[in-house]
Amino acid sequence: MEKKQYNLCIKVLAKFHKAGLLKDIILIGSWALVFYKDYFSNITYRPSIRTRDIDLLIPNPLKIKKKVDIPELLKGDGFVVGFRGIQGYMALEHPDLIIEFLVPELGRGTTKPYKLDKLAVNAQALRYLNFLTDKTIKVVVGTMTLKLPHPAYYALHKLIVSQKRKDAYKADKDANAAIDLLKALIRNKETKDLQKAYKSAPPKWQKLILKTLTMRGENELAELFSA
Amino acid sequence: MQPIKGILREELNNSLHMKESYERELSKLPIGSLVRKKIKDHYYYYLVSRVDGRVKFEYRGKASKAEVKKNEEVKVLRAKYRNLLSRSKKQIKFLRGTLRGEKTI
Repeated sequence: MEKKQYNLCIKVLAKFHKAGLLKDIILIGSWALVFYKDYFSNITYRPSIRTRDIDLLIPNPLKIKKKVDIPELLKGDGFVVGFRGIQGYMALEHPDLIIEFLVPELGRGTTKPYKLDKLAVNAQALRYLNFLTDKTIKVVVGTMTLKLPHPAYYALHKLIVSQKRKDAYKADKDANAAIDLLKALIRNKETKDLQKAYKSAPPKWQKLILKTLTMRGENELAELFSA
Repeated sequence: MQPIKGILREELNNSLHMKESYERELSKLPIGSLVRKKIKDHYYYYLVSRVDGRVKFEYRGKASKAEVKKNEEVKVLRAKYRNLLSRSKKQIKFLRGTLRGEKTI
């Protein structure tokens, strides 16, 4: 199952690459962790549990110039369009993968889906996502170059959103993934990058980060930031 | 174990959604499939479908290449959707079974 799922993920990304979309998209969510394995080449890093959802962040939706009908692009692979929640957020569904689109929420925010007409999909606007666009890394997978958030920013973002989750299991999953990643970054001698990422967050967000860490008994990690 | 149970519940909901989506997409596809018959050295097309449990042949004559091609594409897509619908149903069965015994997890 896992190999099949990974191969399908690569196939989808390859199609996006061919369509020229990968330069405008950042891979976030639990699938980013899979590709961080290549980033941590000097240490052992094993990503925690992941779901079938692939979250694709469109950092600046207005910048997309090329027209690509994504549901049509993936139709031949068996992906069908599904709608989530009463708001009708679009997801491309397949028994092995579910693709969702996200955009950073700006201003007062809205629960309405954000239309991405050029891609023939809609996206969910979420708070704090702009933090993930602040610093990105590129990972080469085969012939493609994937854009991912820098692991430090990814981990801190997860600690922030963990405080905002309504479902306890999601909060746990976020916090566990973030803590694993923070520890991997420390082992990879990137403590200074971590502190820099933390300092770049607004004070309110910094408080949320520290709150999650202390709630989880990760006082050493919390001290690293509050020092 | 709480995150695992939660994730399994989330995946069950996803699979239920998916089942609905595949059923919806299958219902959108045109009914029947074109078959070619050779009658006195000429090829003719019939649309074969099942109506009330009985196979029905509807004469379509000399179908255009575009119609034949479209029908082939629909056939492939229908087979793919049916296969994926079956996988979604298996996932639902598996996830329901796993969650049924959640107290002991």
